[in-house]
Amino acid sequence: MTKKRGLIFLILIFGFILSLFLSLFYGLDNFSDILKGFLDGSIKNSNTEIILSLIRIPSVIKAIVAGSCLALSGMFLQTVSKNPLADPYLTGLSSGAGLGIVISILLFNSINYSLFGFLGALVSAALVISLSGFSKFSVTKLILIGLSLNLFTSSIISFLILLNPDKAYSMTLILTGGFSSADISNRMLFLIFCILLLSCAFFIPKLNIMRLDNRLIFKNEKAANKYSIIFIILSALLTSLSVYSAGILGFAGIICPLLVRLLFGGDARILFFGNILTGSTLLLFSNFLANNLIYPMQIPLGIVVAITGAPFFVFFLLKKGGALLK
Amino acid sequence: MIKIENLNFKFDNETIFKDAVIEILNNRLTVITGTNGAGKSTLLKIITKNIRTNCKIQNAFKNIFYLPQNPYYPKDITTFDYLSSVFYKNNWKWFLDKDEKEKIDNVLKKVELYEKKNLDIENLSAGEIQKANIALGLLSGADLFLLDEPASNMDLINELKILTMLKNLTKDGITSVLIMHNLNIAANFGDNFIGIKKGEKIIQTNKDEFFKKDVLKEIYGIDFEIVNSGGKIYVQVLG
Repeated sequence: MTKKRGLIFLILIFGFILSLFLSLFYGLDNFSDILKGFLDGSIKNSNTEIILSLIRIPSVIKAIVAGSCLALSGMFLQTVSKNPLADPYLTGLSSGAGLGIVISILLFNSINYSLFGFLGALVSAALVISLSGFSKFSVTKLILIGLSLNLFTSSIISFLILLNPDKAYSMTLILTGGFSSADISNRMLFLIFCILLLSCAFFIPKLNIMRLDNRLIFKNEKAANKYSIIFIILSALLTSLSVYSAGILGFAGIICPLLVRLLFGGDARILFFGNILTGSTLLLFSNFLANNLIYPMQIPLGIVVAITGAPFFVFFLLKKGGALLK
Repeated sequence: MIKIENLNFKFDNETIFKDAVIEILNNRLTVITGTNGAGKSTLLKIITKNIRTNCKIQNAFKNIFYLPQNPYYPKDITTFDYLSSVFYKNNWKWFLDKDEKEKIDNVLKKVELYEKKNLDIENLSAGEIQKANIALGLLSGADLFLLDEPASNMDLINELKILTMLKNLTKDGITSVLIMHNLNIAANFGDNFIGIKKGEKIIQTNKDEFFKKDVLKEIYGIDFEIVNSGGKIYVQVLG
């Protein structure tokens, strides 16, 4: 199993580098020319440099941030709730973000909707967590309340879209996700992402305790719930960051953690890296396809993620999913 | 030692315990019996404070290990990984050290699961999973085991093995409280007995006092034939 794990990791890293390469350099000059340009400085102010620094690199960073955040947040929620169906969507985060975006389009008619998405996600996370109760916290309650909030806010979104037919197109387009918005500096985004990853890494070993029944008691205390809440707050932060950078991409948050679990088993320490790799690869590759499949038209990212991700996931589920399906 | 006095507990309007006194002695194997719904599991939950009551619980044990009926287990990790989960509880490190790995191996040998340490848990039988769960307790360093029908999934031989192990552990300072239904096996292993008659009475006594016709009749409401031959007790239900 460990040998096989290593091989799968190598394949994943290869896939990641390949999609990183494709998203950065596909359709530009010869790669060796670009490299030469970098070395002797002649790349400055050339078309290639402008394309790279203004379009390609920002979208690559956003893809990596959004992909890893979604996958990790899904993994946390699935492990904490011991339920393979849990994902950022079920906590009501995604639709909270969506409502924030739609309101910002209606009120301000501007493109900096991601800030409102961010606020919406945070508000709905706070709402869901406080409604499910800090003292009498239960995961089932969390999922049911999240589901209700999800239905509630998405109905409001549909209602708002119905009321404003002139802006309906842009609203539906934004709700399918994408990297086109850019109102936060990429350095800032990447810095926040790294801090968040580090704090996740700090808590990751504790996720391995969640593999045991919550009712099992070892000390004269009930510590399991304390960590559940920490992980739910972490996944709320992660989802907010992903919504901020890429809009609403519901599908990645549920398939990535499951796929990685099918490939690597149930050790949170390995799943952590697996999820970062798989999540960012999925979004990088989908973004590449979205930009180049019907050139020069851009396909909404959410559509491509679902189209590339779903068949792949179903294949692995049927082939190796015996343990998860039982 | 655990001592609970004046224990009163109601589910809705149904009285489960009324002015009950419960005492769990150190280094003994205590068996809790009674009919379904009498409050056996409730008693364990009160001790572990999963159910809150107003009464005061005096607890002299350092660590409690409580194993509920049919606990959840993940399907895609090995037996070894399952047991290793315990060690992430109290520290923040990413990897187990050699000492901890050795401890897991030793416990696996003790419950006779060493050959299956690299098998996925879902490939173990129900009885073997239960053995792994008891191994969790051994790893946790608890000095009080509260086990809710630990042998319900086991065959006769494994049940005897586990009970013998728990009985031997009482000599090493680990106290066990088991919920059991099979009175013959309970008579073989138990030191102290707690018989619960719902809402009315808790009979708490040692083996010889507990296995008497009138005591059992009071708990179960039916007649028993009890043979006591040289310290060995055999119980037969008459109906």
